[in-house]
This record gives sequence, structure tokens and C-alpha cells, in this order.
Amino acid sequence: MKINSILQRVKDLLVKGIALLSAIPLKTVLVFISIQLAVLALAFVVLGLLPVHREVKRISNELVYQPGNSPNSPTHASIELARQLIKSEHHEAILNSTFMLSKSDSISLIIDLNDSLAILSFKGINLFQSKISTIKFNKGLAKLPLYLLDSLFSGPFATETEFSSIEKFPIVVKKAPKDSIEAKLANKAPELPKHRDVFWYFSFSNSLTIELHQEEETLVGLRSDFKKYQLKKSKWLRQKNLNAITQTNQRGYTYQLSIEIPREDARSIYRALPVNPMVIVRY
Amino acid sequence: MEINENSVQKTRKPNQLLLYAIILIFSIALASICFHKQHRIKELAMSFYSFPDPVYGLAEKDSAELVRQLLASEKRIAGLKRKIENFAPNQPYLIVNTTTNTFVLRTRDKIIREGLCSTGSYTQLDAGEDLQWIFKTPKGMFRIQSKLKRPLWVKPDWAFIEEGLPVPPKNHPDRYQYGTLGDYALSLGQGYLIHGTLYQRFLGQPVTHGCIRLGDDDLKEVFFKLNEGSKVYIF
Repeated sequence: MKINSILQRVKDLLVKGIALLSAIPLKTVLVFISIQLAVLALAFVVLGLLPVHREVKRISNELVYQPGNSPNSPTHASIELARQLIKSEHHEAILNSTFMLSKSDSISLIIDLNDSLAILSFKGINLFQSKISTIKFNKGLAKLPLYLLDSLFSGPFATETEFSSIEKFPIVVKKAPKDSIEAKLANKAPELPKHRDVFWYFSFSNSLTIELHQEEETLVGLRSDFKKYQLKKSKWLRQKNLNAITQTNQRGYTYQLSIEIPREDARSIYRALPVNPMVIVRY
Repeated sequence: MEINENSVQKTRKPNQLLLYAIILIFSIALASICFHKQHRIKELAMSFYSFPDPVYGLAEKDSAELVRQLLASEKRIAGLKRKIENFAPNQPYLIVNTTTNTFVLRTRDKIIREGLCSTGSYTQLDAGEDLQWIFKTPKGMFRIQSKLKRPLWVKPDWAFIEEGLPVPPKNHPDRYQYGTLGDYALSLGQGYLIHGTLYQRFLGQPVTHGCIRLGDDDLKEVFFKLNEGSKVYIF
């Protein structure tokens, strides 16, 4: 009986709603649709096309080798040779950066996308390395040719902003026991750190961001920790996008590289790195 | 008739206002969604653009010149690789991971031994009256300062406070303990040691007061492979 009465009420409401909608004049419907389309178009231009256009123009001006200077079109062999040269120069630049960082007193991160490795490097020694299982580029980064990736987004660069789902230093505060009886009760088993999921996000002044996700899909920690991290990330991105609209000197587009490695490796790397670490990326 | 028209106008007016309000609310909501999903809009916008590939500009150069440049670059790469390899110590060295509580004893070319260890617990012991200790293993590169067989542990103040015992004066016999640190110890300086442990079951867990604890067999190998001055990397 109850279900029947609910169904009847829903039906009545639907009928009323349809009657109301059919009473709206066609002109008003057309005005409504056109206004929504205009809002969408305006948003696409202001939030999408304008900042992206500004960024593409800026990047294109960085090119040293502009095509079209020679009367003869290049042969297939010379194009292949040029590709090899750019790749070799890129490798050389990475090694130069690694060599430079070897002289510094802090641990740095090398992301070698060529060999799919995330490496902790310190004084020229590879302290730790982890196999990257997934590499994702956003559209802007994927469209950039190697020459531009090398000259603009391979580093070494210092992290400008960073946030993560875990703490850098997991300190647990313990009150000193009053006497030996209390101490014996407290020392039955050592208090071990809680397992939490690992996600971290690094952003750099050149508008590149690197996001690291644990490759395990099932969460071992609280879902709220993951949500907190997501919230921090979207808040930061919103602020960055707002700045791109209000200040023309800001970069209009964020290049994003996402990688996935095992959870414990991600934890080791994040905890080993100093605050605002130096990063090198080999594409 | 006039009365009827007025009454029709009166009933229509609020409806139209409501419609305008709905249109406005929808527009604001749509604009807000667009603002929040800006990165997606930018990704869509990026689809309409492309970057010029400098390969074609470079390929217009003389081929012989490109080959010369390529060979020079490869030569520089080999030189840089040699330079970087030379950073690795010639002697065996130890790498300690304080997050996973593992160690690797290795040379430039191969791993000699790897296994579990215990490092700092990151516990802050608060004894009030500005007495605080943080039990963490320092990170960075260290050198073995000295090597000891049958090391003697001189218990610091925190060891007594942690056990709820009164702190004895310096050089008091209660402070000296043999056997607690295992058969061997390697000093890293500033009171930090690599030593053995009575609590083998806690290896692989962060439970120490800052020192690095190893299992008996691992400690023996590390002790005899590393010399004074050997490097220890802790991260």
C-alpha cells in the first residue's frame, strides 16, 4: 500500500512538472539554451583558449632551430640524424645536471622516464631506485617535442610547492613514565607508525607539476586522508588557475607528469627527500 | 475585458520573474562548474594547438656537421658517465633506508649483503622541565669514525627516564652495560653507532633511539667489510 501511494505521488509530481514545463513559452526555452551556450563559450575562451594561447606563444618563442631557413627540404636521413643529435644532447644535459647535483649536500630525485625509474641520488650515488609502472603526461606535455622538454622541463629545478598524504617526519610524542611500573606497562611493545597511503605532488616555477601515486589501488589507510590530499591539490590548482586569469605574467597552463610506483617505495623516496628538493627529469 | 487582461498580466509576471531567476541561477552554476573544471577546459583548448618540432630546423643543417656534433656529444656523455661513476667509493660502503628499515652493503659493482635493520623510532620523549629527546637516525653521508669489539654501552639520561628510574650521576656503575650493543659497534660520530641488538625480533621496524641496529650475522659482515673512513649513506 505504502509503495503504491508513493508511486502515485511521484506520478502526480511528474505530471505537474511536465505541465509546468509545457507551459514555458518556446521563446523562453530558446533564451535559456542560448544563454547557457554563451556562458559555455565564454568560459571556454576566457578559461581555456586565452591562457593556453598565451602559453603556446611563449613556448614557441623559445625555439632556437626555426624550420624553413633552408631552400632545400631535409631528407629522411638528416631528420633521423637530427633526432639522434637532440636525444644525445638531452642525455648529455641530464648527465651534466646529475654531475652538478652530485656536488650538493642534499638528496635529489631523478625521474628517468627513458628507463622508467625513480632514483634517489646523493653525491653521485644511486641510494635507491624504484620501477615506475605508469607514466602519464597531460596534453601540453605530451605535445612538446623532446627538444623543448629537454630545454624547459628537465631541470634540475627546486620544488616550489609540495604537499602529500603523509608527513615528512612522523614524530610520535611520548610522555616520560612516572616510575618503573608505568614504564614496564608502556614498553610491552614498541609503538609502530600507522600505515598510510602515499600520494605526493610537487610543483615548480616553470609551471611543471609532478604527481606521484602509489600503484596499489586499494587503500590501506583512511579514505579521509586521501580526500584531504585531493582537496589540497584541487584548492592549489584552483588558485593557480585564478592567478592565470587575473595576472597576465602568470603561466596560463600547467604541464603535468604523473607517475606510479609501489607504495613503500614512494614512502621511502618522499621521506628521504629534503623539503623542496631538487628534481631532474629524463624524458 | 480590461479587468480580465489585468488579472492575466498579474498572474504571468511572477512566473516570468521566476524563469529569469532560474536562467540566472543556471548560468551562475554553469560558470562555477566551468571555473572548477578549468584544467579540463584547458586540456580541451590544448587540443587545438601544436608546438613546432625543431628537428626539421636542425635537419636543414649540413649532415656532416650533424654527424660531427653527434660524435662530440657521445664523447662528452662517455666522459660524464666516467666522472659520475668515480663518485662511488672504491671501498665497500653501506646504504641504510630509515623508512623501510633495510640496509645494503655494497661495492661500486656489486651488492655484498642486504637485509633488515632497525633505525630511529621518531619518538619524542617528553620528560617535562624542557627535557626532550627526539629519537631519530640522522640522514646524510657519514664516515666510520671507529670500530669496537665487545662494545660497552654508557647509558645516557634518557635511558633511565624512559624506564622510569632515577638518573644516576655521571660515571655511576649503573650506567655501564656490556652485551646490550652486541659483539661489535661502528661509530658514526656524535654518539650514533651501528651495533647489534638483543631484540632481533624488532629488526625491520623503527624502534631505536637513533642508532642503527643490525642482526648478528649482518653486523659481523658489516664490521669486517667496512674500515675506519668507509662511507655510510643514510636516507
